[in-house]
Amino acid sequence: MDGRLVAFEPSDSVAVAVVRAGEAPASGGTLCLAGDCGNCLAQVDGVAYVRTCQAAARPGLQVVRHPVLEMPPLPAVPALDITATPAARAIEVRRAAMDVAVIGGGASGIAAAAAAERAGKTVVVLDAAAGVEVVAIYAGPTVIARTPSGMLHVDAEEIVVATGAAEIQPVCPGSRLSGLVTARAAEALHAAGVGLGTAVAVGSPPVGVPANAVGGTLVRFEGDGGRVRAVVTADPLTGAETTTPADTVILGLGLAPRDVLARMAGALPLTVVGDAAEAMPLPPPPTEGIVCPCFGVTVEDLGGAWARGFTELELLKRSSRAGLGPCQGGACLPHVRAWIAARTGVVPEPFTARPASRQITIAEAAADTYVDVFRRTPLHDEHLALGARMDRFGGWWRPWHYGDAIAEYWAVREGVSIGDVSTLGKLVVSGPDVVELLERLYPCNVADIRPGRSRYALLLNERGHVMDDGMILRESDTRFVLSFTSGGAANAEMWLRDWIEVWGLRAHVLDRTMSLGAINVTGPLAKTLLMRAGLADPPRFLGHVHAHVAGVPCHVMRLSFTGEAAFELHHPVDRSVELWRALLDLGHDLGIRPHGLQALFGLRLEKGHVIVGMDTELDTTPRRLGMDWAVRMDKPWFIGRAALERTAKLPDHRRWVGFTMDGPAPTEGSPIWSGREIVGNVTGSWHSPLMGHAVMLGWLRRSPFPDLVEIDGREAVVSPTPFYDPEGHRARA
Amino acid sequence: MPALERLRGLRVVADPAALDAARWRGDDVTVLRFAPDDALGLGASSVDVDDEHAIVEPETGFVGAWLPIDAVVAHLEWRLPTERPTLAQGAVAGVPAKLWLPTDGDALLVAAAAYADELAERVR
Repeated sequence: MDGRLVAFEPSDSVAVAVVRAGEAPASGGTLCLAGDCGNCLAQVDGVAYVRTCQAAARPGLQVVRHPVLEMPPLPAVPALDITATPAARAIEVRRAAMDVAVIGGGASGIAAAAAAERAGKTVVVLDAAAGVEVVAIYAGPTVIARTPSGMLHVDAEEIVVATGAAEIQPVCPGSRLSGLVTARAAEALHAAGVGLGTAVAVGSPPVGVPANAVGGTLVRFEGDGGRVRAVVTADPLTGAETTTPADTVILGLGLAPRDVLARMAGALPLTVVGDAAEAMPLPPPPTEGIVCPCFGVTVEDLGGAWARGFTELELLKRSSRAGLGPCQGGACLPHVRAWIAARTGVVPEPFTARPASRQITIAEAAADTYVDVFRRTPLHDEHLALGARMDRFGGWWRPWHYGDAIAEYWAVREGVSIGDVSTLGKLVVSGPDVVELLERLYPCNVADIRPGRSRYALLLNERGHVMDDGMILRESDTRFVLSFTSGGAANAEMWLRDWIEVWGLRAHVLDRTMSLGAINVTGPLAKTLLMRAGLADPPRFLGHVHAHVAGVPCHVMRLSFTGEAAFELHHPVDRSVELWRALLDLGHDLGIRPHGLQALFGLRLEKGHVIVGMDTELDTTPRRLGMDWAVRMDKPWFIGRAALERTAKLPDHRRWVGFTMDGPAPTEGSPIWSGREIVGNVTGSWHSPLMGHAVMLGWLRRSPFPDLVEIDGREAVVSPTPFYDPEGHRARA
Repeated sequence: MPALERLRGLRVVADPAALDAARWRGDDVTVLRFAPDDALGLGASSVDVDDEHAIVEPETGFVGAWLPIDAVVAHLEWRLPTERPTLAQGAVAGVPAKLWLPTDGDALLVAAAAYADELAERVR
């Protein structure tokens, strides 16, 4: 402990071994040795907040006492690569399904288990004394326990809580001295052969422990060097104080039901038996001293919170923090209830209990859970082979850059580049009512899109807020392909299916997002490259054709997100690698290089293109984006039209606009200032290699909208977008 | 776990009744009915379906492996249906997946190819 060797007996807990060595496991306070309080918490084998009374001593265990006034330091860990695949699970989880789970292995628990077995039910007894600590009860019901070999999850039809009662802790001056133990703790120490020195018992004396019992009311403890030297009691009639010297003060101040798990279960099928079910008297209301040993909350602190109006138990808990510490109210709850009852005349119900009732590690909490799975495009390994730094975006692993985002940018602006856009949402819709469906869904015209042509479209909800955006590509009179953002495909499919059903339209929907790869070929030399790859007649802007490119069947879509000529090649995922490599080979002498998201975001920013979900908020409207041009209010009806018509008459104090500024690009998310007021935030930021200054997109939320603002401590000018090629000549070239 | 191999077949979205009556052609076709209007015919090279607006597409976006059912159950937080043959759908080791459970024998674990590497790492 703390670098020194501590001897122990075979059955010792860490706390008992420490007391046997004449020390205290923590900075003081009454030891209960039953796991109810936080007075023996220490760092054990690198894990902080371990109840040392519940941890068996064994050779080599490293125990470090927590600092007296500060929280224990977090363990030092090497810098994490957040883009790496998480490590394999280290905590095993066992699962069991039982008719009855009995929590507690005392007399009442054993009796309940026996009764259930006699009734022919399968039973498991979860006993903290045997190392199986129940830390949570969830709906199911499912009981979560920590065991020496990992976590145990028990699905039970019925739960019996037989957790007994905890001993009341003292609240009076000197209660943080060491050398104070509860009566049961004294019995346990005596049974373990631990000498208590001159022991004085206050209240109900321990059984079989030599101690000098003193009467009267507990007033305070006195000591020096952090150790108790005497206990002071008072005659309840005269108030006369008596000081009794002691090496150890044994406290039998009463019991409180150990019912935190019962309170946690709420309305789940649960029975409480034994002492845990008993209505026990509260201790006298405390008048002085520390009520909550975990956080050092005093009676005076409770009074201050009460005076500020926090006059209910739940509010008092949140305001004072009493009950929020590691023991979760095990020590303070009876006292706080008694203190409130003395003021109001009403004993409040105990406060809500929530998992976990005991400290568990993050690894224990996360055991048997999985991090969200991130999808990999068919080109994932190609990106890695090209040295890409991968990151997660929109539910996918995507290349952020290949080592030189600026070179990738120039490849797009001046030559040719390819990008992996397999992540884009891709839906096929087909049916006799498909035009009617899409006219109702989209705020733009659909019926006039000819086969082989496409149109950019916003997708709005009933409130006129932007849900997503993408392309509408018509293949025939009754068949369309719709594209969506990378993160939006699943929602879009549900959105379409729901409305098809609601409206009773005849239309089929197939989500092809994960069945089709997509490669964006972009730059002034894109067309040259594609013609080399066998695309004899590339479509003109907003056109699309089915053709073979480098021998791979593709749906070739001409559009532009980068501001340059661009062709998306949608193709079967099993052909992606073949197509990617062919394009790189064929474009080698054109200076082709792939581009990652970093360059793509810069390129789109120069064009002022919105990224739904990144630039938008939940209530973003086309007007706020400056995209009224994408909405045809002359259409008689579409989802969101009524809301747009209604709100068009109202003033709107939000606009998504462009900014330019000298110097480096500020951090995305930076606040935008006007005078001394924050008037918005930056959603996209990029130092344009072409323009030589920073270009940004962001929100203004105060009108009248200023022309000059301050971002990152520098003057920025509100500027029209697109910043680059505003006439769109290059995209159409 | 055996390697997850790319599955090939035809994906069809059509009126449920038409899909019920569809005639699949190919080698040892196994039809996985993802939804009343959505099916994947593994091994199918063509299909006759009486719905002129049906969406019929070659499908290579899924991977699969045959596994003992016990090897899969350890990675489920849901109970397998008892009827056979059947298609079960849900998370396997936290990954969206499908399980084809034939009348007897091993189960075919199916997932989108985009999940293949992650699934293989989790189900070892």
